[in-house]
Amino acid sequence: MQEKFRKKIEDTLHSIDGIEKASPSPFFFTRLEARMNREKNTWEKIASFVARPVVALASICLVIMINAAVVFSSSDAKDATAFQNNEIATVDEYSQVSVIFYEYENTKP
Amino acid sequence: MNERELIVLLKKKDREAFKSIVETWQDMVYNTALGILQNAEDAEDTAQEVFIQVYESIASFKEESKFSTWVYRITVSKALDHIRKKKRKKRFAFIQSLYRESNGLMIDPPDFFHPGVKMENKENAAVLFKAMEKLPANQKTSFVLNKMEGLTYQEIADIMNLSASAVDALLQRARQNLKKNLKEYYKSFE
Repeated sequence: MQEKFRKKIEDTLHSIDGIEKASPSPFFFTRLEARMNREKNTWEKIASFVARPVVALASICLVIMINAAVVFSSSDAKDATAFQNNEIATVDEYSQVSVIFYEYENTKP
Repeated sequence: MNERELIVLLKKKDREAFKSIVETWQDMVYNTALGILQNAEDAEDTAQEVFIQVYESIASFKEESKFSTWVYRITVSKALDHIRKKKRKKRFAFIQSLYRESNGLMIDPPDFFHPGVKMENKENAAVLFKAMEKLPANQKTSFVLNKMEGLTYQEIADIMNLSASAVDALLQRARQNLKKNLKEYYKSFE
């Protein structure tokens, strides 16, 4: 049984010995060139779309709006940070006081 | 016109030089892609992508390696990319099929018959190609380059950026794994 398997496996492994090289179907270069032109045209279409005055103007407006939104949100964030800083300062003051009390209580060396 | 002159002209985007390069290397590129992908349409698609890449990035070819080595490298990497994309699509289709009531069956691809195999070996070769599909990418690549392209260990090593001894080890592991896969396959019929 093992011998039968071994023979079958060896035959299968050698089944592609002397295999001939496959070739693409005829007019490969023509199809390749057509694809390259198609892809080139797609990029050209995208470029001409982006270069339209309406699209350009809309893009500029969008950029300005995003900038404005970022500026406003950052000023809000600044306010929040200032409030947080005040809080932290107060907490620090209290902790400083507690340390002082602790130091007064521990007068022994 | 020799290879070097063609490369110089291709760097200037000369159409005739590009055509000549495509016609010289198309069989090599297509055959390698077909061995890795085991599908004629995918191999044609990949071969086209390879030549587009050659055309677009010929300026980056520094002539430190042979032109054929450079083209082989692009072919192998494009073919492996194609397999990855296909696997992603399959996974996505499987997930989609879970949410659909019908069309949920996943269809196995048909057996692959390479056109260059002798008639008497067709069936065995189809079984071998099926077993090759289960090999890890680097073992499969080295096996295809050795068996189907007839490249030497050193040539494969140059393409895969390995040493010749590493290629030897890869091919030995590939053969062992193929034997194991084939044994399982034939045992399933007992």
